[in-house]
Amino acid sequence: MAAVLANPITRRLLRIPPSYFVFLVLLATLWIARPNMLNLNIMGIFIRQIVPLGILVLGQLVVMRVKSIDLSGGGIILLINYFISSGSFPGASLPFFVMLALATGLVIGLFNGFMIGVRRVSAVIVTLAVSIILVGLVQFLSSGNPPGDVPKLFNDLYNTKFLSVPTPVLFWVLLTALVWLLLSRTVFGRYVASVGENAEAAHFSGVPVQRTVILAHTLAGLIAAIAALVQTGSIAVGSVRVGLDLPILAVAATILGGVVFGRGDGGVWGPFFGALCFALLFVVMTVLGIDEPGKLIAQGVIILGAAIFYGVRVRTP
Amino acid sequence: MVRSLFNILSGRNTRQGLWGLPLLVALLISLWLTVETTQFATAENLFNLVAQAMPLIIAAIGQLVVVLIGGLDLSVGSVISFTTAVLALDQPAIVLIPAVFLLAAFIGLINGLAITRFNVHPIIATLSTQYIVLGITRILRPVSGGTVPEIVIDAVSGSFLGIPYPVFWGIVVILAAWKLLYGSRYGLHLFAIGGGIASGAESAARNFGVSDRRNIILAYVVCSCFAAVAGVFLAGRIVSGDPNVGLLFELDTVTAVALGGTQLSGGIGGLHGTVIGALVMALLANGMNLANVSPFVQTAIKGGILLAVVGLQSRKKMGL
Repeated sequence: MAAVLANPITRRLLRIPPSYFVFLVLLATLWIARPNMLNLNIMGIFIRQIVPLGILVLGQLVVMRVKSIDLSGGGIILLINYFISSGSFPGASLPFFVMLALATGLVIGLFNGFMIGVRRVSAVIVTLAVSIILVGLVQFLSSGNPPGDVPKLFNDLYNTKFLSVPTPVLFWVLLTALVWLLLSRTVFGRYVASVGENAEAAHFSGVPVQRTVILAHTLAGLIAAIAALVQTGSIAVGSVRVGLDLPILAVAATILGGVVFGRGDGGVWGPFFGALCFALLFVVMTVLGIDEPGKLIAQGVIILGAAIFYGVRVRTP
Repeated sequence: MVRSLFNILSGRNTRQGLWGLPLLVALLISLWLTVETTQFATAENLFNLVAQAMPLIIAAIGQLVVVLIGGLDLSVGSVISFTTAVLALDQPAIVLIPAVFLLAAFIGLINGLAITRFNVHPIIATLSTQYIVLGITRILRPVSGGTVPEIVIDAVSGSFLGIPYPVFWGIVVILAAWKLLYGSRYGLHLFAIGGGIASGAESAARNFGVSDRRNIILAYVVCSCFAAVAGVFLAGRIVSGDPNVGLLFELDTVTAVALGGTQLSGGIGGLHGTVIGALVMALLANGMNLANVSPFVQTAIKGGILLAVVGLQSRKKMGL
């Protein structure tokens, strides 16, 4: 085992985020099982469904780069979905809802950041607790029933296409590119990288560690709010269950993309393909007739497998 | 005298954590419920309360073992659901009961191995086993149903000398945990490893000849087995298998452990605190039910308590 791991070729292979391999394997499976599924129109529809997850992954990877985690996305998505669909703001326009969503995400993200960065509470506990509180509140406010309809404009926007590519997918790619620029070309990106690598060393080199962590979480909250808007557009109705499993999937996709608490050679595109993997995975599972429990097991195995893949990589000298 | 009382209340100079304050809270809630409602201070309600709190107490003790070494087990809830599902498989009890514990120990073993051998973060490892176990549970039993062996039902619902069996469950489990944590070498090692991890010197215990890897793996096995005991108890109470019965249990156990003054960063904490923490949770649930609070709001309040309690704990580490 050790000799294999020390081999330069193996080590180089281990540096590639697992998501690329998984993506290729899933693509090959699909190509063998149902070649006719692989055309732009059908894949576009499937990939379009994964866009909220893909956007949430962007926030997740930023916080995971600073050795933190954000599981509050489910609560944020549910709350924003409730705001839009409950009719508590009659006659409000699209910009109003966008601003409201962004403000919500900002406040929750800032709160997470404060608790994690300043109060130093365990990130898992804080964000899970925030999510539970939000879910409980939304379910109470809507008494457990789906609230109402979403203004038609949301779904219309979601259904548009640009040069036969669904707009949400383009939007996702654009956002990914933005986050990539943010992480690789700005001072904030450097701060994130150094805090993730070694927070103590970063502190002594003059990196504002606390501020970086708080900013990363605020950014994650904002991105979750954007994901919530897209998700609401995609289902077009109010729901008390929407998006609750997305944070876990986002963690899974991010780990699959080679970003595990701190370092990450995959950067932004590894997790991007991680999210794509889940799109393909669901297609493959549906094609092979595997239902809900099988999907849960697959999720678990993928997270564990990717984390072990990473753990083995770190172990090697 | 006054000073030592103050120390217990403020949790100072002690490795047991802050357990005096939760005890005070528990007493205050009981007092309030006694004064406000007539139903609370009856023997029947108190026994009911014990029976309601018991699964949480048992599972929280398991969670405590893992928390003491600076870990966290998020698969507790799914192990509980899984246990009830396996128990309702219509096989003889002599096969099912050992099987349940073997399977739980196996889940714990996977967690422990992933964490120690493959360097996976505890939260990620247990999160993924949570999903795998949940998936298997849903395959075994998509909706609640089936029948649990008679012996399990009898072990939970009977009574002896007018005292219901759940009370004895509590006594046995707490004594076993007491022996494990305070009366064995293993317990000492747990505190040693946890103290080292909490202070940032992860090799501290190893330097004194404590095999940390083996003990950490064992801690996850113990945690899963306690969860299985809680599952057996719950299966006896609901008389069937239910894939959702353990939902959110992992967070309730973490809340109970944290509420009992145990530091989530490891090393500091105690059994009495955890039991008190679980009792406070049960009292709150009991009180909120008596006060007719919506179950959704109850969930939100539980989350708020978790947030507040953990927010008040100070720790050095940032992030996970």
